[in-house]
Amino acid sequence: MKVRRAVITAAARRERALPLHTLVDCDGARKSVLRIIVQEALGAGVEAVCVVVCPGDEAAYADAVEELAPHLTFVPQPEAEGYGHAVLCAREFTQDEPFLHLMGDHVYVARGRSYAQQVVSVAETAECSVSSVQPTREGLLPYFGVIGGSRVPGTPDRYLVGAVREKPSPTLAEQELVIPGIRAGHYLCFSGMHVLTPVVMELLADLYAARRPNEKLELSPALNELARRERYEALEVQGIRYPVDVRYGMLLAQMGLALNGRDRDMLLALITENLAQAASGGGALGPMAPLP
Amino acid sequence: MSAPSRLVGIITADDADLRNSTLERACAGMSTEQLLAEAAALEVYRRQEPNLYQRVRACFFLYALHRFHLPARPDLPSGGRLPYEGYLHVLERRFEEAIQRFLRTMQRNGPSDGLSSALAAAYHRLGFQTLADQVRRSVRSVRGNQWMFRTGHPQDHPLRIRPEMLDRAPDGGFPILRERTPVRMDLSHSGWSDIFFLGMDYPEGARVLNVSIDLAVHGRDPRPVPPVQAFLRVIDEPVIRLASIDLSVERRITELGEVFDFARDYLGLLKAALIASGIVPPGIEGSGQSLEELLATVVGPGLGLELVSSVNDIPKGSRLAVSTNLLASLIAACMRATGQTGRLTGALDERERRTVAARAILGEWLAGSGGGWQDSGGVWPGIKLITGRRPQPGDPEYGVSRGTLLPAHTVLDDEAVSAEARRRLEQSLVLVHGGMAQNVGPILEMVTEKYLLRSEAEWLARREASGVFDDLVSALQAGDVERIGALTTRNFTGPLQTIIPWASNQYTETLIADARTRFGADFMGFWMLGGMSGGGMGFLFEPQVRARAMDQMQDLMSSAKRRLETGLPFAMEPVVYDFAINEAGTFADLMEEATDVMPPGYYALAVPNLVRTSNLPDTDARQADLDRFGRACRDRADMAALVPELFHRLLPRRTHAGEANGALDELLREAGFDAEEHEAIREDLRGGRIGLAQNRLPVNTQITDVLPEDTLAPTDCTPAMAERAAEALRHGEVAVVTLAAGVGSRWTQGAGVVKALHPYAKLSGRHRTFIETHIAKVRRAAREYGTDPLHVVTTSYLTHAAIRDRLAAEGDYGSPAPIILSPGRSIGLRMAPMERDLRFQYEEMHHQVLDAQAQKVRESAQAAMIEWARSAPEGSDYRDNVPTQCAHPVGHWYEVPNLLKNGVLLQILRLRPQTRYLMLHNIDTLGAELSAEVLGLHMQQGAALSFEVITRRLDDRGGGLGRVDGRPRLVEGLAMPREESEFGLTYYNSLTTWISVDDLLSLFGLDLEALADAARVADAVRAVAARMPTYITLKDVKRRWGHGQEDVLTVVQFEKLWGDMTALPELECRYVVVPRLRGQQLKDQAQLDGWLRDGSAAYIDSRCDWLP
Repeated sequence: MKVRRAVITAAARRERALPLHTLVDCDGARKSVLRIIVQEALGAGVEAVCVVVCPGDEAAYADAVEELAPHLTFVPQPEAEGYGHAVLCAREFTQDEPFLHLMGDHVYVARGRSYAQQVVSVAETAECSVSSVQPTREGLLPYFGVIGGSRVPGTPDRYLVGAVREKPSPTLAEQELVIPGIRAGHYLCFSGMHVLTPVVMELLADLYAARRPNEKLELSPALNELARRERYEALEVQGIRYPVDVRYGMLLAQMGLALNGRDRDMLLALITENLAQAASGGGALGPMAPLP
Repeated sequence: MSAPSRLVGIITADDADLRNSTLERACAGMSTEQLLAEAAALEVYRRQEPNLYQRVRACFFLYALHRFHLPARPDLPSGGRLPYEGYLHVLERRFEEAIQRFLRTMQRNGPSDGLSSALAAAYHRLGFQTLADQVRRSVRSVRGNQWMFRTGHPQDHPLRIRPEMLDRAPDGGFPILRERTPVRMDLSHSGWSDIFFLGMDYPEGARVLNVSIDLAVHGRDPRPVPPVQAFLRVIDEPVIRLASIDLSVERRITELGEVFDFARDYLGLLKAALIASGIVPPGIEGSGQSLEELLATVVGPGLGLELVSSVNDIPKGSRLAVSTNLLASLIAACMRATGQTGRLTGALDERERRTVAARAILGEWLAGSGGGWQDSGGVWPGIKLITGRRPQPGDPEYGVSRGTLLPAHTVLDDEAVSAEARRRLEQSLVLVHGGMAQNVGPILEMVTEKYLLRSEAEWLARREASGVFDDLVSALQAGDVERIGALTTRNFTGPLQTIIPWASNQYTETLIADARTRFGADFMGFWMLGGMSGGGMGFLFEPQVRARAMDQMQDLMSSAKRRLETGLPFAMEPVVYDFAINEAGTFADLMEEATDVMPPGYYALAVPNLVRTSNLPDTDARQADLDRFGRACRDRADMAALVPELFHRLLPRRTHAGEANGALDELLREAGFDAEEHEAIREDLRGGRIGLAQNRLPVNTQITDVLPEDTLAPTDCTPAMAERAAEALRHGEVAVVTLAAGVGSRWTQGAGVVKALHPYAKLSGRHRTFIETHIAKVRRAAREYGTDPLHVVTTSYLTHAAIRDRLAAEGDYGSPAPIILSPGRSIGLRMAPMERDLRFQYEEMHHQVLDAQAQKVRESAQAAMIEWARSAPEGSDYRDNVPTQCAHPVGHWYEVPNLLKNGVLLQILRLRPQTRYLMLHNIDTLGAELSAEVLGLHMQQGAALSFEVITRRLDDRGGGLGRVDGRPRLVEGLAMPREESEFGLTYYNSLTTWISVDDLLSLFGLDLEALADAARVADAVRAVAARMPTYITLKDVKRRWGHGQEDVLTVVQFEKLWGDMTALPELECRYVVVPRLRGQQLKDQAQLDGWLRDGSAAYIDSRCDWLP
């Protein structure tokens, strides 16, 4: 199995400006969030990238990725019919091939092999769909899709997915999604990156056809069905995912990038200096030294 | 190494027959020495056995050895001092330490009856504690419940309200989620096999057939509906509002701590539901976090929740598991609203129903109560089989117990039980609430104990119940209601009463007999519901007479209640129900229209509170709710009917207590209330001159055990002495005085029935009252001595009319001579307690510590009681109850002076001038009887008073015989300067007293002539009374209200006690040590089962000459 295509969903109606926001990447360069994500995909060996957008956002997003634009295909999602539907919009683009899926409002940071490389590598080895997961305390269940299943024997970080539930209640999570070996009160939640086989597109299409009026199509029900159809794994990736759509999300993503990049020492010095000033009664945060 | 233990062998046997063999049979041929060796082996075994259930069974074997088998051996020494330290360990629930302490004493001093009683108590409680701990562990570890114990901060809270609940109507009101839940009635519980422990140890025997039903009170409600309803909605203020429509209480909760304060008000069940549903997770208790922040996380910033319960006025004690199903209903609503079910409305799926049931068990445990595992059966639809389940890998019980905490439910569909069969059942059954509200808790403990001991008759009965269960299922499937009636009747009269005789009572048996007489073959059978009879019950009739039977059962119950209510505790007037099988189970809908309102009862509660507190609506949602209510009052008949009630509640009115006060004053006047003395007592009480602490003798008083020469034994009576006594009996020199002024506050936990008239047990085939038993013993003595002894029964304002009427109706139960009643001439008025006395009681006295959660509930109730006393205020007259609960008898010391004051002694002396002795005894000392041996000693000693004492057992608390500063006398427990002093006393007072009439008269300075002079008698009594100590005591009284609801309040009263006569130096007193069978008192109904099993009942029966 070879993953050559990627689908980035960036069609959330209320967060249209987020992918355009500029951050300083690990290499010290200023880039848009979208460009950082596209680079993550390309770095994992992907050749073509599809970005699902709100109709009309194509030009602005193309500008944001600068010279990478030729790698991109923009597909509009005409109506906000749910996350699963946004993925389904790229069905034509994926052409019955496995594809890497990333979210347009998540930034990934990893030391060594990139986040996407880790996911793609497992998918290509195991020849099946793979979702990135991270152990998450149960207090955060209302925000994520969660998997249940068991560890792949002999591996420290791979799991065979048995079920997927979107934002489950803790009651249901405890009854159906506890995985032996995971710390009590913690569950494996999606961290926003997947390699998916074409079966997912089929399942999404079936669910879309069977939906009730005004019902949004989510991705998790299709993934739950996928787990029953074929082998489906989850990978606890070595790295950190930063959702930029939450409170202080952009700030944390920036810190994550900076602390893992070229400007790490300078940033640490700055933070320390500001903490010291705050502690000595000099106010919450003193004046920041101008960055070079 | 000694021979292997036979009893350990039974516990560990692989062979089921051997494992299920009975302790009685195994112990039958053993000597005392062998029994003690078995006890030692069991003790070693239980300490090293890892299997919880085998350990528990060993505890119960040890309990039975010490409670029944060893005490029955004549060579086991009686008496034996009990180490106080061990007793304290028992109180503190440190049972292991208590056992070790008692065993050390046994090693040092040898075995004894007293030590065995202490060991029995400790093993018994250790067994139950171990079981309760296991159930608690299982409840907490059920998957789906665990996370709630981990969540300790609002920011970690994983629940969120469903968006539909936040969807406001245009007027600003939030939708109302309404959960409607049936209650359950069980066709059979296979001998209480739904007790958690039985289900977890014996899953194959744990089988229940239960039916979800809708209810209506016949003649009151239009048609049966799901009686239990829960309403939940979002409100736009960051608080939790709770309201119980039936209990007429609402509360606005602003602090997290209040949610965990169960006994503070009547909303404990609603609070338990909030906790058990995870909205306020148990893990957050005591975290000091803010409720507002929690609500902001779960519901939204600035928002809160309102939870309202209603049970359509179904009375308490219905045996239909109303409270468990209400809890389940509330939990289901809370779970739906927070996304813990797949759908917000409609029915639940099986997994969700099981989660609700598990949460209801958790909620009951949190609120300190506990039902059976089938009680939340109303959550499921229709008729279902509920059975024990063997644990599978992954279950928390796997490898721990033989069964799981939660049973399996199989709903019987139309194919299994046809629609026709269901209809026939509905058309035959008359469902009633008999009006008795009793505590079923002790029965459940007895069942567990008997199961563990595999007592032979009970074990066979359990198997028989299992057979009846199979037959019931097939009769139900065949739609054969006549057979169902025969089987439920057989179940009740056979196995159920064999296992627990106390499941029946005289009232139930009267009703069954009346129904049979009235309806003949058309009465098809009796059906006991729940844990015991007397409350919710079923009577099966031929369909064509059912309508008539419904009306007539009401009459039968009301008239039986009138006949028996002086002796049996009734909480309410009996009612007949209409019912229908509910085929939906618990079911919810979302009321989101702008015309939707809460039920009428809610507004009857909420609106007056709003108006009275001027707390007018300050939020959009509240305003919208009131607007809707206003419109509904114009448009809806049921709401319009509420308007007069609203006015009634808003306007000041004469209270129930106000109406009752006239009657109370009249009672006090009639019974000789001394207002002057009352005010003096109040002044002393408020001034701190009398009180619980002041009851005690000075701390430097020396209290030691008596010496051998201080007591006598019946064996000291020589044949010549006995012959002289027999001669005195034959000549009618002795009269019997039975003290029957009391209402058995311990016996019925303050229900206020006449103890003398309580039909406490079946002897020789019939329920017998205490008074009947005493008369039957006098009949026997009369036959033996060829005489007709006079028999006086002392009464009080509480008991006089009831005893008089019953004796008249029963022809004095065949007493050889007409019974003479001695009406009381003293009465007190109870007062609100002083805070310092409550605190002394709660904090300074040692009490049995309860299981952790129950203890929390108790402490919360105690805090509420102190608050009540302060607001009453302290020392004020207690008048807010029926007159008989406000007044109090003033102690048994007055009973004998009353004989002087009311002329009864004079009457006796005129009738039988030869009368020289009185045998005075308490109503509950069932073994007291005319005995030539004790009388012989009394005569020979020339004593004024001879007291019968018995050797002490652990439960014999409240003083005893001791040397006080070197002089033998009886000391009341209240007067002991140190609690531990009591444990140094070998003998306990039975209160049975032989009185020499001449000495008594001379103490009072009276003679026959003076007895006729009322003024002289009154002066004489006052003079002696002044020498008697006055004790201040706290009493729990029940206040009944609503539909079978009861409050227990602690009030203060004073008393003078008879045993203090022994402190008067001029009276010659003697103490005769009598066998326990003769001196044992029955104070608590929980004693009855042991009393029946240890041979005491058979002994009493053998001493009675019943009327044919």
